[in-house]
Amino acid sequence: MWIRLLRPVHDQEGVADPVLTLTAIVLLLRPLDVWWVTAIVLTAACLSLLSRTVRRAPLTWILLALFVGARIVVLWPLSDNHIYLLAYWCLAIGLALSSTTPAATLSASSRWLLGGAFAMAVLWKAVLSPDYVDGRFFRVTLLTDQRFADAALVFGGLSRDQMAQNRAFLDPLPTGAELLTPPPFVEPPRLRAFAAVTTWSGLILEGLIALTCLIPLTRLEIARHALLLAFCITTYALAPVAGFGWLIATMGLAQCRPRQRLLPGAYVGVFILILMYSEVPWAGVLADWAVR
Amino acid sequence: MTDAAAGSDSHGGWRALVPVSLLVVVACSQVTLATTAGLTPWKGGGFGMFSTTDNGERRYVRVFVSAVNRSEEITISPSLSDAASRAAVLPRDAELSRLARRVVKRERRHRRPVEMVRIETWRIEYARDTLAATTHLTREFVCRVDPTPASCP
Repeated sequence: MWIRLLRPVHDQEGVADPVLTLTAIVLLLRPLDVWWVTAIVLTAACLSLLSRTVRRAPLTWILLALFVGARIVVLWPLSDNHIYLLAYWCLAIGLALSSTTPAATLSASSRWLLGGAFAMAVLWKAVLSPDYVDGRFFRVTLLTDQRFADAALVFGGLSRDQMAQNRAFLDPLPTGAELLTPPPFVEPPRLRAFAAVTTWSGLILEGLIALTCLIPLTRLEIARHALLLAFCITTYALAPVAGFGWLIATMGLAQCRPRQRLLPGAYVGVFILILMYSEVPWAGVLADWAVR
Repeated sequence: MTDAAAGSDSHGGWRALVPVSLLVVVACSQVTLATTAGLTPWKGGGFGMFSTTDNGERRYVRVFVSAVNRSEEITISPSLSDAASRAAVLPRDAELSRLARRVVKRERRHRRPVEMVRIETWRIEYARDTLAATTHLTREFVCRVDPTPASCP
């Protein structure tokens, strides 16, 4: 058992090397916030990038899953959801590498995990949350979350002064208090429409991804890849959660077949694009230009 | 690797089902905690992020300390902020007791009397059409302190 977990799996037996390499890069790029978890995970991720033996040993990924899981327990309940997905993904890699059909196991694991995560996201947005479907979430978030501010300026047609006034309006007052002259609230039709498009396109796209991942039909494969790529390209241009995007791109890559030449390149390209989204303030540049 | 081996239409055996089973168990626990114990949908592994304005940034706690000749609201100092964040995100007895114990410890370190710690958890909500923001008290927790060690539940 232990020998099997330590024995590296060769390329021809299974999982494509870029899947493991990109996962190690995701681990290096994510802050883990607990010093001893950070030390161990960063060391293991570096070693797995440098050494094929470490990278292809199942035990490496099972230990990484345990330490990322430990981070979730230590910081309970403050961890973001992509940290949970990272732990499941490391476990999936470790278990797949210890199987007799590593690529098929990891491909199926990836599909189930993405299906489960997106199905839960749809359940929360469409059923459990009281303020998503009626549009309130994005109407408020586009105005109050600094990370979405540039997009609201570019696509919503707001000026910076109007944005500041709206933020003052959305500041809550103490219970029972009322201002003599409340600040004005300006919501141009373009901003309202942008909030509605963001709300519904996100929900529909996530629902379709959940369906194509959970329904095991080969003919849905291309649709699934197209939806995953479209989701990464559009969502992470606005949403400030690169960690999730990198994981989705890596998990999509794990579902590519060897005869597919363009698709793996597309996933690697999307991984780099999400890195650019997170590091290059493209919306800020556009906003400066648009509201100049 | 062959196409058959990489075929995504296979179930992948039990090894492929273990991670997603964990995901389902954690996600169901998160939904239960969110609907019964006030956990914000954004946290807890249930993938409810970006689904509601009810996130940690729109939740806060207020802490009141009282003793003989003393009754005041205290500010959340850096040494309390971690426990305060956990209590705001999941206002259960365990998280609130943890915050209360930290408050008692801090007050005693500064040689200030403390007989009772009262914690209020609040959240901001927005009206459906006007988006007018209002604050709502979601939980009130009282911890009475023995003269010597902290004895919150």
